[in-house]
Amino acid sequence: MKRDSLTRLSRTLQYTWVLALFVFIAAPMLVIIVFSFDANRFPTIPWGGFSLEWHRAIFNDEMVIDAFVNSAVVGLGTAVFSTLLGFAAAYIDYRWRFRGQSSFVLLVAIPPAVPATILGMAMLAFLSRVGLFGRTETIMACHVAIAASFAMAIIRLRLGELGADLEQAAWNLGASPFTALMRVVVPFCKPALIASFFLSAAVSFDEFMIAWFVGGVHETLPVRILNLLQGQVNPKINAIGTVVLVISITLVLVAQRFVGVKAGRTAATEPP
Amino acid sequence: MADNATYSPEVTFIPAGTPPHRARTSAAPAVLPLALGVPVVAWQALFFAAPLVFLIVITFWQVKSFRLEPAFVLDNWSRILGSGTFHSALIHTLVVASTTTVLALLLAFPAAYTIALRLPIRLRDLAVAMLVVPVFSSYMLRIYAWQIVLSPEGMTNSALQWLGVGPLPLLGGGFSLQIGLLTLTLPIAVLIITFALSGVDPTLIEAAENMGYRRSRVIAHVLVPSVRPALTLAATTTFLLAFGDYVSPLFMTGSRPPTLSILIVDTVKSGSQWPRASVIGVAMLVVLAGVFGLGRWFVSRGMKR
Repeated sequence: MKRDSLTRLSRTLQYTWVLALFVFIAAPMLVIIVFSFDANRFPTIPWGGFSLEWHRAIFNDEMVIDAFVNSAVVGLGTAVFSTLLGFAAAYIDYRWRFRGQSSFVLLVAIPPAVPATILGMAMLAFLSRVGLFGRTETIMACHVAIAASFAMAIIRLRLGELGADLEQAAWNLGASPFTALMRVVVPFCKPALIASFFLSAAVSFDEFMIAWFVGGVHETLPVRILNLLQGQVNPKINAIGTVVLVISITLVLVAQRFVGVKAGRTAATEPP
Repeated sequence: MADNATYSPEVTFIPAGTPPHRARTSAAPAVLPLALGVPVVAWQALFFAAPLVFLIVITFWQVKSFRLEPAFVLDNWSRILGSGTFHSALIHTLVVASTTTVLALLLAFPAAYTIALRLPIRLRDLAVAMLVVPVFSSYMLRIYAWQIVLSPEGMTNSALQWLGVGPLPLLGGGFSLQIGLLTLTLPIAVLIITFALSGVDPTLIEAAENMGYRRSRVIAHVLVPSVRPALTLAATTTFLLAFGDYVSPLFMTGSRPPTLSILIVDTVKSGSQWPRASVIGVAMLVVLAGVFGLGRWFVSRGMKR
């Protein structure tokens, strides 16, 4: 009897702990969204009443619109190129054995592990030296160098599930390596390709340090927010934040829909 | 599918070192791997490796009348490594990142334990999905939200005032800094440990239970040792993120006292002292490499026993 109630107490504590964790994670996002509709200039309790004033204001803010366009362009470019490079790197690692293979994989895998402050500074120093500073394309290229790591990981996992005989069958039937790659491997990897597309876009859409360093006058949305945050209290921030939150969460959720991230096993799955 | 982890499919049919289909590609055997590999290597070399190498190179350069000039001087190194500001920032950053690492592990383990071993599979998958979202989205915004919540005229203090409790200095100290850094690191730590715990062989736990082990002993003697590599990975990842973070120190403590990342950005943005900022950056990378080395040593030592 006593043991039972102890177990029950312990279970209750465990579930409460997990719930508290999720409150801790979700609370800041909810604060941003809720207060973006607050009529008060400074977000505080009590709530000042419902208002769309700040959401409307950001659509008339040219700097915000410009930053949004920059972010969209950089994000889209990052998504395309990271997925291409990530696929190439994953396929090479899957298909061939060669000297320097682990260095090759590390070269793609490691960039996210370098603090963005250091990487941003290094990129700025080097890229301004070779005349690439202050372009939207440069921000994108640097984002690709980071996001390709995630793309490679996702696609490599999927390739691990490709039956060894499938590609071989295609060769035996007369397909060239390239044809087999395009007709067998790429279609098999489709869910992982879609997932890395959206995840790379999310990584780029969220990145501010490197964009801030190498972008020069071209601000992406997170950089605009960073600059707004360092100025005076600005009620527009919550409204911009809500838009950014909705977009980046959607990107990550779509990515997850195509690659089932599951504890215990990680499998790329075709959505129903 | 289950034994996927134990063999790599390609090894079973491609002898290492030989092209898998010599007959068909004999005309141009290396075209496909080169066509795929060269762009990858070129891109990562130009936008990742070269900048990092250049970072090391300019630590020996000089700034003359606000211009960066090639040279080979050790002045930047001796100045930074001998400066009191650098020393105190280094110690502060090390203490802060270590604190975050300990806190993250302590807070994450019970949560991961419940998610991996207690929740039904559907809820577990949902929990994992919800933990992945914050890893890839809106870190800076969430820190700003904490600033609103914790600031002197902010939400928490308004609520406290309403209850008759005076305003508390929540923002601007170690407490708010750790809130910020945990916002960054906790989801990742929980994810890593959750994956590891879900992978622990259930028969191992049952065996321990059948032998009459209590829960606490099962955790201490079965679970923790078998997820030791994951705990190490969670610790090193947390340390890495906390050590290099710029946003939390900036917004949660107003850069006082400065961390190494703050020092770098200030040195770069305010002056033209590139070489000195690079010295700080290289020093940070050395520390991080040391931490990773320590982690690997810790894991391999555990494997041998």
